[in-house]
Amino acid sequence: MKELFKLNDKIIYDVDTTILYTSTFKFTDDAIYFINHKGNVITKERTTISYDISDDIFELFNESELKNKQDLSEFDELKLKILSTLKSNSNIYIFFNVLTYLDKPFKEKLINYLKANNKRIINYTTEIEETLLLDYLVVLQDNTIIMEGKKELVLQEEKILKKLGFNLPFIVELSNGLKLYKVIDKVYFNNEELVGELWK
Amino acid sequence: MEVANIFETKEKGYIYGLMGNINLTTNNNHYNIITPYKFSGTTKEYLNSSKDSSSLKMVMLNDSYLTKTSRECSISELKKINLAKALIENKDYIVLNYFEKELTYQEKKYFERLWKKLVNNFHKTIIIFTNDLTSIWNITKELIIVDKYKVINTIPKDKYIEFIDNLNKPEIIKFIELIKKKGIEIESYKEVNELLKAIYRIKEHDHEISN
Repeated sequence: MKELFKLNDKIIYDVDTTILYTSTFKFTDDAIYFINHKGNVITKERTTISYDISDDIFELFNESELKNKQDLSEFDELKLKILSTLKSNSNIYIFFNVLTYLDKPFKEKLINYLKANNKRIINYTTEIEETLLLDYLVVLQDNTIIMEGKKELVLQEEKILKKLGFNLPFIVELSNGLKLYKVIDKVYFNNEELVGELWK
Repeated sequence: MEVANIFETKEKGYIYGLMGNINLTTNNNHYNIITPYKFSGTTKEYLNSSKDSSSLKMVMLNDSYLTKTSRECSISELKKINLAKALIENKDYIVLNYFEKELTYQEKKYFERLWKKLVNNFHKTIIIFTNDLTSIWNITKELIIVDKYKVINTIPKDKYIEFIDNLNKPEIIKFIELIKKKGIEIESYKEVNELLKAIYRIKEHDHEISN
């Protein structure tokens, strides 16, 4: 795989990547690194800038009511902050544990929009369900890489993930159980596909 | 939104869930809102109590954190240190503002036990403000939905699944809804193991009929 970034010993490849980290990890250094390398860095920190967002983006994300809303909540501001970056020229978006604060429809639309526009996504998170959103998965403990690879392979390392304090995504845990009961013969990573296999 | 206004008529000594697109604030001295507040000085100076070590232990941190500054801590660690401060201050209400974000699954389970202990042994009232139903549905007495100005719904524990909106529906509920769309009768389960057994029973039954 082509190398995109190198942060100390951590290589970020040219593939949409989830970085799953344990709670002692401090992402400040990584954020500074990406900012210096012209990445579009999104953190939850509040900013006081005004947001320049086109009407078509508001409409696409069903968020037109935010346009003139008074007394924005921090979640509204987070959405505005993200929407205001979508027309930027940067080809890479780095989210530092912000997707978990967004409602699921917005999060899905955002990922789909970025993928459709050929933007590269790097998502730092502690939420195991978010590992299903992107193709590649890196697991960090403090600053050390414990595992990395295609998500389908890494998520099968249940013992290591549990030792680090993580569970498995719902659909993987259910698939593992059904596989053990010999109801299915492989692990699924998508709800629709598993239901489709169970009741054809 | 002043969080104390929401809970002034609620019974004390329980765990409550709180959801909504609001900013939580309080001027009430009986309330502590836990955020990743960046304090100045060291953790020891910030906690400023003879109970500093035991309070840190309750939030899964050891004494090595006493000499750290907030700049040396992760967001999760800042939340935990601010929770330790709240435990020392011993106020009646602890409000957890998206506290579970940045925690691993194992830590979430530990803190669920801590909330129960604080309620049962110390008669605290715990308010969990979150968008993640799975982090509250086994431990809260009721779920309160708010918007900017008022409470818009109060949902008792046994009705969470019926009333949760599409925005934050847990994966297991979405999966069960997909099964129901196939015309299969199945209960609403909250635990993967229960769902797994139910699917196994249904598949066994289908198999027997087809034979």
